[in-house]
Amino acid sequence: MSSASDFLREYLTVLILGGVGAALVGLLLGASHLLRPARRQPGKSLTYESGVDPVGTGWTQSQIRYYVFALLFVMFDVEAVFIFPWATRLEAYGGFGLVEMGIFVFILLLGLVYAWRKGVLKWV
Amino acid sequence: MSPNAYVLLGAVLFGIGAAGLLIRRSPLVMFMCIELMLNAVNVTFVAFSKMLNDVGGQVVVFFVLVVAAAEVVVGLGIIVAVMRRRSGISADDLSLMKG
Amino acid sequence: MPDFVAPTLDLHALAPEFVLAGVVCVLLLLDVVLLDRAKAIVGSIAGLGLLGSLVPILTLATSDHPTRTMFGGSYVVDSTSLLLKALFIVSAYVVVLLSTNYIGEGDYWESEYYTLLVSSVLGMTVMASARDLISIFVALELLSIPAYMLAAWSKRDGRSNEAGMKYYLMGVFASAILLYGMSLLYGWSGSTQLSEIGRAIGEKNSPAVTLGVVFVLVGFAFKVSAVPFHMWAPDTYEGAPTPVTAFLAVASKAAGFVALIQVIGQALVLRMNVMIPVVAVLAALSMTIGNLIALRQTNVIRMLAYSGIAQAGFMLAPFVASQYGGIDAIVIYLVLYAATNLGAFAVVMAIARRTRSAEISSFGGLFSYSPGLAVALSVFLASFVGIPPLGIWYGKLSVMRALIESQGRWATVLAIFVALNTAIAAYYYLNVAKTMWFDDAPEGESTPIKVPTSLRFAVGIALVATIALGVYPGPLTDAATPEATPAAAPSGR
Repeated sequence: MSSASDFLREYLTVLILGGVGAALVGLLLGASHLLRPARRQPGKSLTYESGVDPVGTGWTQSQIRYYVFALLFVMFDVEAVFIFPWATRLEAYGGFGLVEMGIFVFILLLGLVYAWRKGVLKWV
Repeated sequence: MSPNAYVLLGAVLFGIGAAGLLIRRSPLVMFMCIELMLNAVNVTFVAFSKMLNDVGGQVVVFFVLVVAAAEVVVGLGIIVAVMRRRSGISADDLSLMKG
Repeated sequence: MPDFVAPTLDLHALAPEFVLAGVVCVLLLLDVVLLDRAKAIVGSIAGLGLLGSLVPILTLATSDHPTRTMFGGSYVVDSTSLLLKALFIVSAYVVVLLSTNYIGEGDYWESEYYTLLVSSVLGMTVMASARDLISIFVALELLSIPAYMLAAWSKRDGRSNEAGMKYYLMGVFASAILLYGMSLLYGWSGSTQLSEIGRAIGEKNSPAVTLGVVFVLVGFAFKVSAVPFHMWAPDTYEGAPTPVTAFLAVASKAAGFVALIQVIGQALVLRMNVMIPVVAVLAALSMTIGNLIALRQTNVIRMLAYSGIAQAGFMLAPFVASQYGGIDAIVIYLVLYAATNLGAFAVVMAIARRTRSAEISSFGGLFSYSPGLAVALSVFLASFVGIPPLGIWYGKLSVMRALIESQGRWATVLAIFVALNTAIAAYYYLNVAKTMWFDDAPEGESTPIKVPTSLRFAVGIALVATIALGVYPGPLTDAATPEATPAAAPSGR
């Protein structure tokens, strides 16, 4: 059990960090609020559409057919990060590495097969 | 070059991300803030890894990257599910239940 | 560059994880091959797979070398981790039992549901053995990411979407905070292994270590829904499908505690002066605020959510007495809490199938038309209160003993908090029991509630565990105490 002053000293850091963080955010937001001119006009809050008057609200739904492709791409693209280090030292890792990578790729493939069977890869 | 600068950069990025997450109300922007926080962590890990001459920190970064991608995919999936039901989304709209 | 040496794998020690990973692949393959026809069998296969992964746990527990270490100390299988793995797997099995009717009757995707559930359990079993920052992080995410999806499972229900969204945002925020704390600890100690970190931060102190410890503790506090990081819990619990709520409230929370146990027990134990105040404040706040809000709830599931926050406080408290058997007390409490809470959820689900609501008032006069369910729920509620010899009373006893033996200032204060809060909690738990036994039944409720076999079975398992472990806690204590020889069997839970 530590004495009270020890305890306070330990937590001074946490308090200081919290204080600095809050001050920084407050300073940045406050400064920009004070410095920027605020002249509200209805035209300014319109949705920007390359100079053309917008039609409808900003929240109309548009068809994004490919979002699942994008999500799948992100996943498989990033998973490749594990394959590169293995590829650079292929011989050193030998049979053990090969088996490990085989399991890894098998599980990835399962994901791809799943997407394919569920009809996500079809262009509708 | 000393790693201090990078660690400081990481701390600042992390702070900006955390503040943004607490202030902004659009789930998409909140996602971006979370990404910022995770990348701040990556910067810190790489800086320490270089300083300590230990590869462990960089291995952590690989895992953080991949997990972040998985989290984003799941998060966007949930957002799409929410969006299908109502137009316009803000974290404050999610108040069917008062907790 | 040094030559690469393939690590030796102790296949026996890893067998439970391999079985679970195999089950995940099999479920996914079945779904891919059979598509809709898989629906009829996935539930049973998930259940059988979970039971199958218990077999290697039993053989490991009875083998001659109970403690096995792999990957240079990053992965340890000992009696405590075996007990925890068994806890996760049995809890998940009960959740599968709860789901069979619920998921089958609603408009849900079934194969994916069970696949994700088992993946989450896989993450938990890895967590029980992880002794390295990387494996803890990966295990934590493997158990959380499927849980985010499960919380939002009823896609067409706005409340479920909301539950998933809140859980996701809070969970990811917590992971980021946790990771930042980990990066500071790594930077200071130069290793990702918990034991190395413990050694390094025990020798020299620095503000960076204090910050790292606080960040890590806050990150986990979100996961175990400790006040003031609990905001997501009640809404997520109410909005998510009820079996998922049971899973989150029991298995997911237990996994958060397991991670805390590893990190605190292995690494932070030498920095108790930093850790104790944070944990003590979290514990005291969780108990008190959780209980006070639970008092005002009219919905049983929300009440269970807030009472779960209070129970998390009880489980956080012994961390301040880590050197005096506090960790063992937490493990014991976790097991008993899981048995009781799963049972309570099972009964509430059985009742809600009929009444379509979980309002406390709709439980009125339950004893008059469905005495079996009323008695079962009363047992679980009494266990929550801590009435001997039912389940949680022994957990409360262990917690109190650890707190009092440590004789620290914070521990003594916490012991008083535990005692006071037990009294407060008794009021709202017993209020539900009173409604069931003495109030009048609503109009037209006279036929007994039909309970499907799987639910009946789930209630049975929870009842047996709650009563048996409360009456005869010996094997549980043995398995939870690190030095002791492993219990012959992790006593069914």
